[in-house]
Amino acid sequence: MNKSVISVKNVTKAVGGRQLLVDVSFEIAEQSLVSLIGPNGAGKSTMVKIILGLDQQYDGSVTIRKGELVQYIPQLVMDDQYQLPMSVYEYMSIATNRLYSTNKKQVDFEQALSHVGVAGEKLHQSYTSLSGGERQRVAIARALLGDPTILVLDEPLAAVDYASRSGLYKLIRHLQQDHKMTVLLVSHDIDSVLPLSDQVLCLNQSLHTDCHPSQFTAERSQYNQTIHHHC
Amino acid sequence: MELLTYTFIQYAFLGGISMAILAGVLGPFVVQSRQSIASDMFAHVALAGIGAALLVGVSPWWGALPALIIVSTMIWRLLDSGTYSPDALAMFFLSGGLAAALAFVHLARDTVFSFENYLFGSILTLTSTDVMAIVLATIAVVGVVWYVWYPLLGATQSPRYLIPFRRTPKIVQLLFFWLLAIVVWVGIKTIGGLLIGALLVIPVLTARNWASSFKQLVVLTTVVSVLSVSLGLFAALYVDLPPSSLIIGMTILAFVLQASVAAAISKRSSG
Repeated sequence: MNKSVISVKNVTKAVGGRQLLVDVSFEIAEQSLVSLIGPNGAGKSTMVKIILGLDQQYDGSVTIRKGELVQYIPQLVMDDQYQLPMSVYEYMSIATNRLYSTNKKQVDFEQALSHVGVAGEKLHQSYTSLSGGERQRVAIARALLGDPTILVLDEPLAAVDYASRSGLYKLIRHLQQDHKMTVLLVSHDIDSVLPLSDQVLCLNQSLHTDCHPSQFTAERSQYNQTIHHHC
Repeated sequence: MELLTYTFIQYAFLGGISMAILAGVLGPFVVQSRQSIASDMFAHVALAGIGAALLVGVSPWWGALPALIIVSTMIWRLLDSGTYSPDALAMFFLSGGLAAALAFVHLARDTVFSFENYLFGSILTLTSTDVMAIVLATIAVVGVVWYVWYPLLGATQSPRYLIPFRRTPKIVQLLFFWLLAIVVWVGIKTIGGLLIGALLVIPVLTARNWASSFKQLVVLTTVVSVLSVSLGLFAALYVDLPPSSLIIGMTILAFVLQASVAAAISKRSSG
């Protein structure tokens, strides 16, 4: 068994009398690919905020192993008609240090893009002209610039068409296996993340299922009932 | 053209073009952050500062600056708390600023003072000290924006685009509010508190369809803004209308022209 890089113990959070999380505990092993699933309002976003250290008002403990660097990739937005023009280069630059030299930045950006299967010449194109799949890849490329050891992807396939999904599956698996990253996928859509997961955490305020995905496949109907009932 | 040899006209152009550069550089960030109404809110806060300055007997325009910085910090803090919605806070400070301004001016018993100069601008009355302050403010704001370009671009994105920075963007958001406060401070002296919002927003809307990057958008917006101010001021030399009205009229004209050209191009490409 690999050592755990994220350890969540008895996490409980309530806001204004409403329970968001109740006694949630789980461990995420290093270099594993784990999905945190649950319907809207199940506490997934709250859990992610706590893991990222953006929310510190909770009971229990969350430990990220020393030396690990977490990068978060938010859910894509495809329908924002008010978004002003922004190039891919600018989108990627938002996350980087200003003191980065321009030449090094250009080279690193192109490398990061080619790593995720996006042509380097897209760097100076408009970000909003990209397809959902390309935007998700660019978001991953931006996250890779920070040399993370843990990637947290929020609804990674929500804005990606079915044709582009298998490519993204391969990319995420490649990052986990070849680059030794730990990956946490957060989604309300189990079908989109199940083909990729080593472990599935089903959350609805409390943790209802923590299992290997083969159990989902073998006993799908039973788990569907469980998911529909609890999640 | 002889009019251009007059010092007050030269000051008007210097102050106006500086204002246009300020609006062109910061306008896209204001529109991007969905806080266009903030300029109007700040302008009303500036009026309260002007009133307070009258009451204590200092220069009204200079009195507006500390009021703007203090209140913009308060607004940033209140927005950050997440307790109050942005539109409710805007109305609070917009109306509250105006009420405080009226009370201060009344208490100051200054019968000569008129808010109109600050509401609609008084670009033709700029002094050499005013112009110096405006040019210095422009250099400072443009320099800071250049230095924090990408953090500012990140901090003013729609929250749905934001990534949790390892270093929080909150401090950059405060800086953005201060920059906007300085732009409004320059605005109340030149184009007017009630009209500065138009100069911050309309050129951005004019340029947005013609840019493919944010940097291009800022350059195009600044060009539109500088052209509008210059043409508006030229027009004011020959037409008996307030310069501020003519300047904003030029920005609207530029918007209509580009929209017509864009529609014609779209029609041709689809036909």
